[in-house]
Amino acid sequence: MDWIATAVNGALLGGLYGLFGLGLALVFGVMRVVNLAHGEFIVAGAYLGVYLVAALPQLPPWLMVLPVALAGYALGWGLQAGVVNRALQGGDLLRPLMLTFGLSVVLRNGMVQAFGADSRAIDGGELTRAGIDIAGLRIGLYPLLVLLLAAVLFAALHWLLKHSAFGRTVRATADLPEVARLMGVSPGRVFNRVMGLSIAFAMLAGFLLAQRTLFTPFSGVERMLIAFEVVILGGLGSFWGALAGGVVLGMAQLLGQKFDSNAGPLYAHGVFVATLLLLPRGLAGDRR
Amino acid sequence: MKRGLVTVAAAISLFAVAALIPRYVDGGVLRLMSEVLLGIALAQMWNLLAGYTGLLSLGHQLFVGAGAYTLFEATQRLGLAPYWALPLSGLVGALLAALLAPALFRLRDAYFSIGMWVFAEIGALLVSKTPSLGATSGRTLDLSQLGEVEAFQAISFWIAAAIGIGSVVGVLALMRSRLGLALLTVRDNELAAGSIGVDVWRVRFPALVISGFGCALAGGAYFMGAMFVSPDSAFDINWVVMMMFATLIGGIGTLEGPLIGVLVWFALRELLTGPVQLQGGWYLMVMGGVAMAVSLFAPRGLWGWAQQRWGWRGWSVRREPPASVLASSGRAGQSAAGVAPVGSQDARRHSGRAA
Repeated sequence: MDWIATAVNGALLGGLYGLFGLGLALVFGVMRVVNLAHGEFIVAGAYLGVYLVAALPQLPPWLMVLPVALAGYALGWGLQAGVVNRALQGGDLLRPLMLTFGLSVVLRNGMVQAFGADSRAIDGGELTRAGIDIAGLRIGLYPLLVLLLAAVLFAALHWLLKHSAFGRTVRATADLPEVARLMGVSPGRVFNRVMGLSIAFAMLAGFLLAQRTLFTPFSGVERMLIAFEVVILGGLGSFWGALAGGVVLGMAQLLGQKFDSNAGPLYAHGVFVATLLLLPRGLAGDRR
Repeated sequence: MKRGLVTVAAAISLFAVAALIPRYVDGGVLRLMSEVLLGIALAQMWNLLAGYTGLLSLGHQLFVGAGAYTLFEATQRLGLAPYWALPLSGLVGALLAALLAPALFRLRDAYFSIGMWVFAEIGALLVSKTPSLGATSGRTLDLSQLGEVEAFQAISFWIAAAIGIGSVVGVLALMRSRLGLALLTVRDNELAAGSIGVDVWRVRFPALVISGFGCALAGGAYFMGAMFVSPDSAFDINWVVMMMFATLIGGIGTLEGPLIGVLVWFALRELLTGPVQLQGGWYLMVMGGVAMAVSLFAPRGLWGWAQQRWGWRGWSVRREPPASVLASSGRAGQSAAGVAPVGSQDARRHSGRAA
């Protein structure tokens, strides 16, 4: 029974991991840019949450997802409009890689200077301690809500990309920026919004995870590794694959920890490697 | 051939200078110089893979760690002096690369980068779970087989110098060989390289193995000098951060780039933590800022920028076509030693010969 509970918890954690990967997959899918600073934004979301929760004690902590996500959107938009678009000129994929690499170093150490290197957590209030019993299994209410939220966000993004005018321009720009430009789409502006969405997802997920686990300014690196694993497990360019990848990874991690308490994420990495060897294109597969 | 002689002479005089250095400088400077030299080797090896074969590794700390642990283990188990265990470090790195290659080469682009990184994480986790290797608390180097402890520092420096200079000379020699030509064509255009008969897999495999060998050797030498190793320091992602910073800042896919980048990295570090007295975090922020600025204003790195601006050539690995080819094709060899055409000419000539 314990094992089943652990597996369920892992699947719930996977929703968050899916959100980590979603932002990364979005930026990679549209701009072919690997954002090496993604993990730092995840941690930045957590720090912003710490301060918002402390500054507004009369409001329930979960309400802070809105300002955190909005701040993420603004940051991402500004980052893309300010520097990344410039680095995208010329089509050399190394430039944005180098830029985000530098940015990650700046952000990581900036956060150490600003907040110190101590580990922190966010007290999520009553909600994070509540649980419900289903068929004899005790399941945390908070992780369940987080998974639901992740599923809603995935569905919303899916709808946005497939059925809205904005989604059409995004897909067109992802396919051929030059042709999209001929049709009156400004790729730079599309990229601004896409990066905004990506960072919003990252900071939101970082804030939500901070109510479950401790974090330091250095957590960004491992969170980014999780995000990458999720994206690649799911198959680059597949959004639902990212959610599935997150769930697989979350389950592998928690089951591995239960099986062997000092293994850390060893088993999650093992599952990742095994999946890649058997399915080199990820779970959902990129058919191209 | 004259250039070849000059290179050999330069290398020999560098070795001679290196031989004399320990007499005149104190321990701290010696240690710093070893670090720089090993950094050069690491960056060259990373660049060999990223710059020439397009395989951007985020997991090269795996080889550094493997080399370090092999050295410590072999020194203790086999009762060797640490220097004699060093070749083993390199071999283990090469072996590891050869074993992982079939799995890694099924992955492309970002998949490869992350696959490599995950293997490095697995390596770190396995070492920290193994009590006989010291687990998470690390272990110290067994110095019992060391004859004269006083000479240890000087010998460590000489080894670092040999590895650092050797890596540059080795990569230069490699680039002038047939394999190097194939590597350059793959760097410039993988599809075109394949179409003129370059077997991309057979080019990448030796590059990964050499890269693993060099990084493990340098890693072993670094931790031999430090005399202490722990999984956190050996499998630290910051190894890749340094290799990547140096290569990208200096100029990826060139021989001089990593060299310049490593010098910039250490010069900045010493300047900012020394005379400018910035705290640890701030100096890293400046480093990150430098990387961002270079990506925006000199995307081919400092060396690429210098090449473009002043037409510097450096150790050219470009092949001059024989006069007959020049006369018939006319265009080859005409363009200045610019950045972009350098490699494409190699490819053009290669295709000319194949046709």
